[in-house]
Amino acid sequence: MPERHQGARVVLLAAMLLAGCSSHQSATSPPSVTFGSGATTPGMPGMSGMPPMPNMPAATSTSSTGSPAPVAGNAVNIDNFAFVPATLTVPAGSTVTWTNKDDEPHNIVANDGSFRSPGMGSQATFSHTFPTAGTFDYVCGIHPFMHATVVVTQ
Amino acid sequence: MNYLIRFGIAVTLTISGISHAYLYIHGYQHIPTIGPAFMLQASVSFALALLILLGGPAWLQWAAAVLAGGALIAFALSRTVGLFGFSELGWEPSPHAAISVVAELVTVGLWVVCLVERRRAVAHA
Amino acid sequence: MTDDPHTMNRRQLIRHSAWFGAAVGLAVVGGEVISHVAGTAQASHVQGRPALRFAQVSDSHIGFLGKANPNVAGSFSQAIERINNLGYTPDFVIHTGDLTHLATPEQFDQVKQMMTGLRTPHVFTVPGEHDSVDDAGQKYRSVFGAGTRGDGWYSFDIAGVHVIALVNTLNLKKLGHLGADQLDFIAKDVAALTNDTPIIVFSHIPLFAMYPDWGWATDDAAQALSHLRRFSSVTCLNGHVHQVFSKTDGNVTFYSGTTTAYPLPHPGDGPAPKPVTLPAGQLHDALGIREVSYIRGHDTLALKEQALQ
Repeated sequence: MPERHQGARVVLLAAMLLAGCSSHQSATSPPSVTFGSGATTPGMPGMSGMPPMPNMPAATSTSSTGSPAPVAGNAVNIDNFAFVPATLTVPAGSTVTWTNKDDEPHNIVANDGSFRSPGMGSQATFSHTFPTAGTFDYVCGIHPFMHATVVVTQ
Repeated sequence: MNYLIRFGIAVTLTISGISHAYLYIHGYQHIPTIGPAFMLQASVSFALALLILLGGPAWLQWAAAVLAGGALIAFALSRTVGLFGFSELGWEPSPHAAISVVAELVTVGLWVVCLVERRRAVAHA
Repeated sequence: MTDDPHTMNRRQLIRHSAWFGAAVGLAVVGGEVISHVAGTAQASHVQGRPALRFAQVSDSHIGFLGKANPNVAGSFSQAIERINNLGYTPDFVIHTGDLTHLATPEQFDQVKQMMTGLRTPHVFTVPGEHDSVDDAGQKYRSVFGAGTRGDGWYSFDIAGVHVIALVNTLNLKKLGHLGADQLDFIAKDVAALTNDTPIIVFSHIPLFAMYPDWGWATDDAAQALSHLRRFSSVTCLNGHVHQVFSKTDGNVTFYSGTTTAYPLPHPGDGPAPKPVTLPAGQLHDALGIREVSYIRGHDTLALKEQALQ
């Protein structure tokens, strides 16, 4: 019995040593980069030796666009990463105004491409007039899980 | 306790441990949670195998069966719903996965045989 | 001799404890040996340095003004310092997107200037949705798009590893989106590679379904990944979610990286992925960079997260 588990031990040790052994080449100099066909190489070069640039003041967020002319019932708020109301029904020819009540920027992108707002910072507004009837689904282009609809009636 | 069965369980545990240790050494060490789990499985397998061979108490075989059963369940999970965000296809990495599964199945099978033997021995006593 | 299963005298208890102790002790020793062998195996491959070492930084959101981080430029600067002080020069640095917060020319200028301070031969980027807010990525491409194709995707080879940089932050319907042209590019790009070529893929939005309710997934990633199924080692690194997360699916491992700007909640932890304001002093634990090494012969990359602290 003792020689049995001696044998097992030896097998174990041998197996583990075998598993650990290997011989592979290794690089000693920094590898070079080969780019696919293209006129210029992508990416930008880093720097060597010089310290990082000092901090610069951050730029201000984008300003609001469009004239806010809210007609009662034609307003959509962007609040807490959601469009409120999710479905807005207006007669053809109406102007809908969106206001961003969030701290995060949002924008309005129609699924059919018929309207697209610039990036809207906090408290920014965007207005769009709907001349024809139809159903207009839209999302926030930055956070596209936010979606809503404007239903335009005759 | 039939000595042959004890020896058999020790061998199957060792095989399963070697498979997991080999995969750990060859890259699985980098996989979050699964890597350390592989190392644990291998080291506990080796420890139990040795002690079972040396003639330890019956609960060691229970522990072996639990370890092998757990490894089988983990394997099944990794092929289906995933385990700690880790999933694999089919029998990859081949042949280690298949070898380990067979070894674990035999471990559990031998333990069942051992249980049945003891029941029979008690009943006849 | 059979033990009575319901009682145990003290001698038997000592005996069983001894065997239990032996089991634990042996397991610990076994674990140490296995770890040591694994470490030696790694070292024997390395003999000085891994085949490839690079750093990932993400989501700097230059231009963000909010309580969650009143000085994102400062923390990005710290991240650059960290990368410059890793103890080795990374072979390249990749920024996985949302370099700016609002895609203004000033913000692009500032982030590009800051990144010229990285001590590395190459700095690569992919755009985030914040970088493409007003103009479907035109400003981003004018600053960072040299040498890229389509909306800003590209690939390159380094140290025998094939790296693909993807753009999945344009034309978003609900999730990230690659588009037919880019899927075509991926198929053609890997066609001539052998199965044992390691592949690394960078994108901003995760290529796996981390949390679709918040847009943390890519609607046509499955097609892209189907072109990569035959390779033995595929690693996808992304940003966007501002937290570390990983998932392995067969031959593909996905790693989300953390931000240098502000943390976001864990999936489902709240109504939306809004910036999280942490208690004072805890912000820099949530921000960080990541070191990645590739060792020849290992199918999985070795990652090391570093908080900014």
